[in-house]
Amino acid sequence: MSTLNAQPVGAPTPPDALPQTLNSGKCGMLCLIASEITFFGTLLAVYLFYIGKDPVGTPTPAEMLDVSVAPLKVVFNSIFLLTSSIWITLAVRQLARGNIKAFAVWWLLTILFGLEFLVGTGFEWYGLIAEQGFTIRTNLFGSGFYTVVGFHAAHVTIGLFLLSLVFVLTCLGKMHQRHTEKVELLSWYWHFVDGIWIVVFTIVYIIGH
Amino acid sequence: MTTLDHPGNPTRIKPTFLGRMHEWIATADHKKLGVMYVTTGLIFFLIGGLEATMMRWQLAVPGSTLLSPSDFNRLFTMHGTTMVFLVGMPILLGVANYFVPLQIGARDLAFPRLNAFGFWLFFFGGLLLYFSYFGAQGLYGMGSAPDVGWFAYAPLTERTYSRGHSTDYWILGLLVSSFGSIATGINLITTILTMRCRGMTLMKMPLLVWLMLIDAVLIMIAMPPLAAAQVMLLFDRLLGAHFFDVQGGGSAILWQNLFWFFGHPEVYILILPAFAYVSEIIPVFCRKVIFGYPLMVAATVSIGFISLGVWVHHLFALGLSPMVNTIFMGSTMLIAIPTGIKMFNWVGTMVGGKIRFDTPMLFSTGFLALFLIGGLTGIMLSVVPFDWQVSDSYFVVGHFHYVLFGGLVFSIFAAIYYWFPKVTGRMMNEALGKWQFWLLFLGFNLTFGPMHVSGMLGMPRRIYTYHADRGWDLWNLLSSIGVLVQIAGVAFFVWNVIHSLRKGREAGADPWDAWTLEWSTASPPPDYNFEEIPEVYSRRPLWDIKHPDDPDWKYE
Amino acid sequence: MTSEDRTNPNREGIELPAPTSAPFVCAFGVTLIFAGIVTNWAVSIVGFVLGIVGAIRWWHEVLPDNRKECLPIDGRRPTIEVSPGGVAHLMTAESPHRARIPLEIHPYGAGVKGGIAGGIAMAIVAGVWGWVDQSSIWYPVNILGATVLPDFAHENATQLAQWHTAAFVLGLVIHACMSLMIGLLYGVILPMIPRFRLGFAAVAVPLIWTGLAWASLDIINPLLNQQINWWWFIGSQVAFGLACWFVVSRSERIGTMQNWSMLERTGMESPGIREMGGDG
Repeated sequence: MSTLNAQPVGAPTPPDALPQTLNSGKCGMLCLIASEITFFGTLLAVYLFYIGKDPVGTPTPAEMLDVSVAPLKVVFNSIFLLTSSIWITLAVRQLARGNIKAFAVWWLLTILFGLEFLVGTGFEWYGLIAEQGFTIRTNLFGSGFYTVVGFHAAHVTIGLFLLSLVFVLTCLGKMHQRHTEKVELLSWYWHFVDGIWIVVFTIVYIIGH
Repeated sequence: MTTLDHPGNPTRIKPTFLGRMHEWIATADHKKLGVMYVTTGLIFFLIGGLEATMMRWQLAVPGSTLLSPSDFNRLFTMHGTTMVFLVGMPILLGVANYFVPLQIGARDLAFPRLNAFGFWLFFFGGLLLYFSYFGAQGLYGMGSAPDVGWFAYAPLTERTYSRGHSTDYWILGLLVSSFGSIATGINLITTILTMRCRGMTLMKMPLLVWLMLIDAVLIMIAMPPLAAAQVMLLFDRLLGAHFFDVQGGGSAILWQNLFWFFGHPEVYILILPAFAYVSEIIPVFCRKVIFGYPLMVAATVSIGFISLGVWVHHLFALGLSPMVNTIFMGSTMLIAIPTGIKMFNWVGTMVGGKIRFDTPMLFSTGFLALFLIGGLTGIMLSVVPFDWQVSDSYFVVGHFHYVLFGGLVFSIFAAIYYWFPKVTGRMMNEALGKWQFWLLFLGFNLTFGPMHVSGMLGMPRRIYTYHADRGWDLWNLLSSIGVLVQIAGVAFFVWNVIHSLRKGREAGADPWDAWTLEWSTASPPPDYNFEEIPEVYSRRPLWDIKHPDDPDWKYE
Repeated sequence: MTSEDRTNPNREGIELPAPTSAPFVCAFGVTLIFAGIVTNWAVSIVGFVLGIVGAIRWWHEVLPDNRKECLPIDGRRPTIEVSPGGVAHLMTAESPHRARIPLEIHPYGAGVKGGIAGGIAMAIVAGVWGWVDQSSIWYPVNILGATVLPDFAHENATQLAQWHTAAFVLGLVIHACMSLMIGLLYGVILPMIPRFRLGFAAVAVPLIWTGLAWASLDIINPLLNQQINWWWFIGSQVAFGLACWFVVSRSERIGTMQNWSMLERTGMESPGIREMGGDG
């Protein structure tokens, strides 16, 4: 009999065939992000396709999303979301050093900044729906706007939920240095949510405007 | 530990029924999940086949009134949806689930729990779709199944034209099961990229693993756009959005583009596994290495790329600009090149080989013949004027059944006959297998061959009946008679499975004298697959051990 | 989850992910959430609760560490029979394991020359046909031109027998291109035919080509179809095949580069290496 592990006489020693930099967690997260990108890509392509094709006409994106009317609101919220990416990077770095308390502080800051963005979006939507009567049924622009921005907000919500879960575990004292990798993967997801917002913002508020 | 229900297991205890149910429901083992995927897929195959039988029964003679027009619409919608999403997808994912870890020398997939999650999403998604027969108008009235065709063209799917919830069931059932498929696709990519055993570089992977890698990448890229399109349609129907609502400025053409941007890669998601199975089976039964391994890999990768850029050939009859049509005609013809390379490589493997025509090889050879016909009619259809002539006719129906039935289903049967001994520890019966092959081969050609003729004579697809004076009678009758022969073939298969599970010959670890790693472990494999993780030196690790005087690693 | 424990030091058992019902519960919950959309909102609520229950179970499985179970080795380890010898090789050339065919080819130049010779032979036969049948050697030229100039097909035999500059130029170009291409194909394919090369070149291919032209011309241009005498057509094709075969098969064969050694391929010339591209 012969086993599968015995190196045959004269055969070259086999190389370790796996890449050193890519473990399963990272690869899985990258694939998840890739599939999310094709999902958002489809929604955004539809949004771009429908810009200016509204037969009803009013209200136009310019009337609804005029950045000059509420100059700071959306930009302000966006800055909060984008800077949260910085805080989460700092948090992961602290965890890698084993500095749990500093990790908790930066992590909480990330959650709060994300929450601000979500609340800001909520106020914006409240203003559009309750005060101006602009809904998903109003016209094509409404359909696209609420779908795209809504799906992004849903992803922020999922992200915040997971971030809070980690925060609760940290408070219970269950997070340790060896969890750095799992937490880092979560931060990749958060970076993706932030990154896709830059694209959504550009298309919805600048190009579509 | 869990008790193992394998013949030859020393610690075999007879578990209770509930215990066994719990064992299957709670499992995270890729082999059990693989078996569940394939079994569910085969059950849905019988259901989808039943639906097809009813349609052919109705169409056997002109002016038949066995089925009402609306029942007929539901049948062809459910038949198409079932065969693509609930038969093709689970079986290909199931076989990949079972054999990718075994072939790369791993103990499980990268994310075993996610794998179980993916299976159950698919399973419940399928049940939700079929629940529409009872609940499609809400829980308050008689329900019925979707009737908008498997590609559900807008604006037929809008609230105005499709009342009740039947179309919503179509959307939701597919959404749920496609989430599962995406999860499993990601799982497969990660497993293949990060869990190969020592020595198995990318260019030493078995071809099944290569093809499933590209397949999983296509799933990851092509299925989320379908989900996005379905979500938009759902918003149209439930919230009153206007994406595909033509009165509100929405575009019906956009739905067609979105659907086929998913739909055409989906065709390749379905056919790449067929290529994978015959690429494993043909070399073993010809006793030769696969001809042109690097070219096979290159062809697979290029099929993956090109398949993302051909979807407009489904829209030739739409009246897009000649420039667009010409470009997509070119890209469609281009994809025939890598596919042709594969055909020649399989034939090249057979040339000079010592061919053993056991049932797996019979089905593989049948695949080569039938898929060739399907591929050639595909090239005919890629020519825009010809497509205009026969678009949405029975010619198209004949074409894609030659590809998906003659191609995919025949290769699935080849794979089942090939790997059944590994999964169950018992051989399938050869005599019954040959009966099944010849009946199925004959019945298949009798059913789908005449469809090319009736299509050329102008018979459109999806009509529930026709007049006697069109000259279609004979061809339709032949098609319907062919179904009876196919039913006999499938009956032989069911009989064979039941018979072999109980009384089949003990297979041993390596009944076919094959070369890839799954044959180095016991049949059925223990839960941990390999006692020691193997090391490989060439593409055929078992060959190297069996033939120390002439091992492959000297040449690779 | 990760692949760090590739060889298990613990010989008593092997660690695998523990079974868990969490994915089942979670998936059922997700499905019910969607099902609630088309049935009743209460179904969605139940689905949501189930989803959360499943998720919590799931987190218990993976947080803070993945739960595993240790399975005993059941000892069913098959032996792999070693069976040395008995391996037949396809070819006994220098590199038997991955044999490449063909080992020798005709040079491309031979194909070009063969095409020219064949083209002349074919033109002569066609000219003879025109002279005998319609007493004009321009008749076949005009017919060839008519394949791309549709107006010609409507003309009668007398008009077709006259000189037409456009038809002559077009016919010449078509004839030259086709002859060269088919000559090249002959040069490449002939060495691959194991036996009966003359039969292949002068009988099989002309018959196949004539059959193809005959079958398709009736659909493409039925008027033109009536003007052609198909027996003479076959004759001219056979003339081409004979001439082309004669020229090609008389040329000297060269070995393909696949059979050269590494040094030869890199173009090194030194004592001990056989002559470049020599008797492969």
